[in-house]
Amino acid sequence: MYTGITAKRLAYDRKPVVEVRKLTFDYAEFILKDTDISMANALRRVIIAEVPTIAIDLVEIENNTTVLNDEFLAHRLGLIPLRSEKAEQMHRPFEVATGDEVTDIHFSLNISCTSDSTQYVTSDDLVIDPDHPEVVPINYHDASGEKPIVIVKMRKGQELRLRAIARKGVGKDHAKWIPVATATYHIMPEIHINEALLDELTEVEIDNVENYRYDGDVLAKAEELGKPGVISIRQKTDEFIFRVESTGVLAAEAIVMKAVDLLLARINTLAQAGSTNFALYSSSATGVSLVLFNESCMAHGRTLHEIPLDKDANRTGHVWHIMLPLLNTDLLY
Amino acid sequence: MAQDASPDFFGATFAIEDEDHTLANTLRFFLNKNPRVYFVGYSMPHPTEEIVNIRVQTTGEVSAHQALRDACEDVKDVAQHIASTFQNAVAEFRAQNPVTK
Repeated sequence: MYTGITAKRLAYDRKPVVEVRKLTFDYAEFILKDTDISMANALRRVIIAEVPTIAIDLVEIENNTTVLNDEFLAHRLGLIPLRSEKAEQMHRPFEVATGDEVTDIHFSLNISCTSDSTQYVTSDDLVIDPDHPEVVPINYHDASGEKPIVIVKMRKGQELRLRAIARKGVGKDHAKWIPVATATYHIMPEIHINEALLDELTEVEIDNVENYRYDGDVLAKAEELGKPGVISIRQKTDEFIFRVESTGVLAAEAIVMKAVDLLLARINTLAQAGSTNFALYSSSATGVSLVLFNESCMAHGRTLHEIPLDKDANRTGHVWHIMLPLLNTDLLY
Repeated sequence: MAQDASPDFFGATFAIEDEDHTLANTLRFFLNKNPRVYFVGYSMPHPTEEIVNIRVQTTGEVSAHQALRDACEDVKDVAQHIASTFQNAVAEFRAQNPVTK
């Protein structure tokens, strides 16, 4: 990549270790070791704000005689979690390039109450898009008895008819697109018991290391007993316990994996920023050289740099290209 | 990315658009670890504007730009490592705890 002149990179032997403690569809608990807190925080931020999901974004109401007004209903509909595995293949409206991409998923709702008892309009009543049957509200007609989400309650004579469009989005834009209920980490505590002082007391046991992370009580008690040095609790600042609780829109492990991929993509984009890409189309050229010079060179008939492009590395089809980092803005080619 | 110097300076402030604490704090940490960097810090001029300023000052053995690039590579390595380690950890967990539903 960067040839010759630049100094050799120092390698930091940060090889993080991951240990999964609990894993179900919507809950993942794992320990992340040998990495810095800024990395753990970056992961947490990306999980919350940048993992894309699908949620209702546009609601056209045809008839609403319920007790909730239109925007109230639209807001509630937006917050319904929708199974978002499809989000990977969807595009956001401003990302459309060819016009064939999927951006919208259509739902509709058509309920009127005819009985004397209160009718509950729930997420089960939403009519899903036949073109995308995998995008459904969570627990949609759930066989194991999980209850659906109540949207509004109606009495006899009230009616609700609407159409809704769901789109892909990220937590940064609106909280309805956040894929997790919570994503948290805390630092693993390290407890030291001074054995010598301990012998002078009666039994002390540690049940569960984590419960004592900020346990001032234990330290206060030790002081009370006249032995302030018995227990010391420290934080292992490079070991974190991560808990990711999904709302059900994506599998918890899928969320974490996607977050790491997104973090990688961002750092890649940054690493390339400040580089300039040169491209030339030629169907018949057998060799191309990039010649860089500036104004003063032109006057003297010289060049600053002449870079021959490699036939394999610098050519894709008929396009010859090369990306160069950090060039002076007064260069010509 | 805009810089305030031509490529060979040893102290530079990088103003990076469309970035926030997520990446800036992580880069700051890895830059700090570099013994050839003697000062690094970042700030966000205003929270509603997605721009971060990262200030890097090196000892002179590397340019500020090179130090930043190296930090980017470090972050990439760590992230890639986490990705593969996490996948292995999940597979291992599944192997030890077969799903009973």
